[in-house]
Amino acid sequence: MTSTTKQGPSELAVLWQSEVGDYVAAAAIVVDGELAVLGLGDGAIVGIDLGTGRERFRRQAHFGGVLCVSPSPTGGQFATCGSDPAAKVWTSDGELVRGLPGSGTAWVEHVAWSPTGRHLATAAGRSVRVWDAEGRIVAEPEAVESTVTALAWRPDGTAIAATCYGGVRFWSVEASAVPLHLAWKGSLLSVAWSPDAKIIACASQDRSVHFWRLDAQADSEMSGYPLKPKALAWDSESRLLATSGDIAATLWDFRGKGPEGSTPIQLHAHTGAITCLAFSPRKGFLASGAKDAAVVLWEPRRQPRPIRHAKLRGEITTLSWHPRKRGLLATDDRGTTCFLETL
Amino acid sequence: MKKIPVTVLTGFLGSGKTTLLNRILTENHGQRIAVIENEFGEIGIDQALVINADEEVFEMNNGCICCTVRGDLIRILGNLMKRRDKFDRILVETTGLADPGPVAQTFFVDDDLKELFTLDGIVTLVDAKHVHLHIDQSSECKEQIAFADVLILNKTDLVSPAELDALERRVTGMNAMAKVLRAENADVPLAQVLDVGGFDLERAVSMKPTFLEPEYPFEWAGTFELGEGRYELVLDEGPDPSMDLAITLLDQVERAESPAACERAVRVWSKEAPVVAPGGSIDAGAIAHLRLALDAAGVKRFAVRVPRSGRVGIYTQHLPAEFQMRLLERGEVRSPVSEREVTPGHTHDDEVTSVGLHLDGALDGKKLNEWVSRLLSEKGTDIFRMKGILNIEGASSRFVVQGVHMLVTGREDRPWDAQPRASDLVFIGRHLDRQALERGFERCLA
Repeated sequence: MTSTTKQGPSELAVLWQSEVGDYVAAAAIVVDGELAVLGLGDGAIVGIDLGTGRERFRRQAHFGGVLCVSPSPTGGQFATCGSDPAAKVWTSDGELVRGLPGSGTAWVEHVAWSPTGRHLATAAGRSVRVWDAEGRIVAEPEAVESTVTALAWRPDGTAIAATCYGGVRFWSVEASAVPLHLAWKGSLLSVAWSPDAKIIACASQDRSVHFWRLDAQADSEMSGYPLKPKALAWDSESRLLATSGDIAATLWDFRGKGPEGSTPIQLHAHTGAITCLAFSPRKGFLASGAKDAAVVLWEPRRQPRPIRHAKLRGEITTLSWHPRKRGLLATDDRGTTCFLETL
Repeated sequence: MKKIPVTVLTGFLGSGKTTLLNRILTENHGQRIAVIENEFGEIGIDQALVINADEEVFEMNNGCICCTVRGDLIRILGNLMKRRDKFDRILVETTGLADPGPVAQTFFVDDDLKELFTLDGIVTLVDAKHVHLHIDQSSECKEQIAFADVLILNKTDLVSPAELDALERRVTGMNAMAKVLRAENADVPLAQVLDVGGFDLERAVSMKPTFLEPEYPFEWAGTFELGEGRYELVLDEGPDPSMDLAITLLDQVERAESPAACERAVRVWSKEAPVVAPGGSIDAGAIAHLRLALDAAGVKRFAVRVPRSGRVGIYTQHLPAEFQMRLLERGEVRSPVSEREVTPGHTHDDEVTSVGLHLDGALDGKKLNEWVSRLLSEKGTDIFRMKGILNIEGASSRFVVQGVHMLVTGREDRPWDAQPRASDLVFIGRHLDRQALERGFERCLA
């Protein structure tokens, strides 16, 4: 006889697993090249063939640790930044295309390719720069009030948002109706623009998630998290916002009247604080990673129970869905990298 | 995982922070150090990573000043930890005008940092020559002194020993928990500055409450270097019909004015004082508290016997000058090698003080918790730091607590074993009400 009721979720199939030797601080999948790019704590970038799991290249990219890897949405290139004063653009073979210097000696802490692929934004200290695909500066707005903590492009690529202590700043790159500034007296840590571009969600140092409805010019705060939230993920329909800040993933439902005053969906499976959240590009799967080294797959609109899981060696540091295929790239703080087959 | 110690260097511009930092970085201690500084200094070093960052003080949206943190530290230290070859130690050098509160609070408040780092100590450099220019006007200067675990009185070669003594009294009056070091060019042993976390708590609470409230019953202390033999203490007519006096032998290089010796004198003072009439004799070997009868007219003489060569401390209820008091050896005046006026109460009327509490009985954990929570929620803004080693009823181990403003952490420490069980709790803050604290603490007894 076999038990059918008490079994946990089955395991995600591992397409390949690789040990890259250092803390994986950032990662991305570069389409049109079928490449996984990992940014390590020692400043190296490692390119791994997505099909075979074999290392294609390894370069010392930055003086200190790598902080960000951003793939070009059109493929073929990716950008990185780290603990030094210049971002860099690379080909999918690991050849340096160009450097994107910040101003002065501040680390370039963020780099983000626009969803159209026409622009790149970098942030160093309090300054944001917008570059075109040929490496020319197209906008260099006035410095914001404190160090930029995150960047997010409007999903149509026409404007960019930057968070800092004091609120969210916006700059329009192509004709786009965006507010100039959403003030918020608090330290914002991360930002996520809903795919329909109507809502800006930010995680805050004071254990809350704040969001602004740009159409209605209204804002709300979801507070009471036991830990500092940081990871934010929207589903492709702009309906569910998944947030970290607990050992459970906390999901706010923006259907109808929205999450204000409602009880969030909480997804329990992890035994450590959630560190990463990512919705699949289609079908509404959510992947969560945590300090417990586990990666869990959910289908939150159907059921609050985990449907698949995988275990790495250390704290999960990044989760990236393949934009076209059924695959999820997961990394941890000990250098373990897995490409997992999803549903 | 072992937490990485963080040392914070504070002090006004010109106090010697950069000199000390350079010494820490260049001395061969085998540690890998990352430095975060908010001031651009002349630093050239190979083995350390120096990161310049703008100081960014973040208030939380709830407006509570006790939750104010340093955003730059959260960001930079978070990034630094993503390296396999981690650092052994982090040094944070603040700007001269920085309030150390947010720096310290950052390590209590932020979820990520408190998991990875431990605040080892706050080291404050004090420019002995120029501190008087700031100390009364600048709340930052006072707070830097009040928050310190280690106070380095620097540039001591530029001031007189008496000025230095006065400064030390003043800063220990404000912060009785800190270890005080003296230096000419920030040349202090690094072991006294780094890794203070292990023992600063012991030190802080081993200070007796009497000392923590430096309201001495005597107005003057003097150190004499005398050979074995007989001396004469001579007083003229003065404002009072009697004066209390304590006399004690000191260790080789000890000074009567030092906090430890003063503390002993306070204990001697609490014993009843036999009256000694003119012509009577005083034995310096007996650690005596005496009352000199001075109501007779004219000059009064007392015989003083010193049983061995060495230092002798004399403490007087009034200033010796009020009675023209002098110590004679065969008719020759012997001057003290050092002396100090101890004005009753707070010399400078400093609003920043320390209060130490001591209880021998065991504490009720629940009552203690309630009292501390209430106290900090009401007075947390004014309480800069709190440290304690506590004897909780039913617990076999010591319980240690540490706090910054409203934030407290507590943990079980080593077992009491043969050590006498007692509770010591020290507060440093502004406008502290000693009696209310004493009463509150006593109510926590089991």
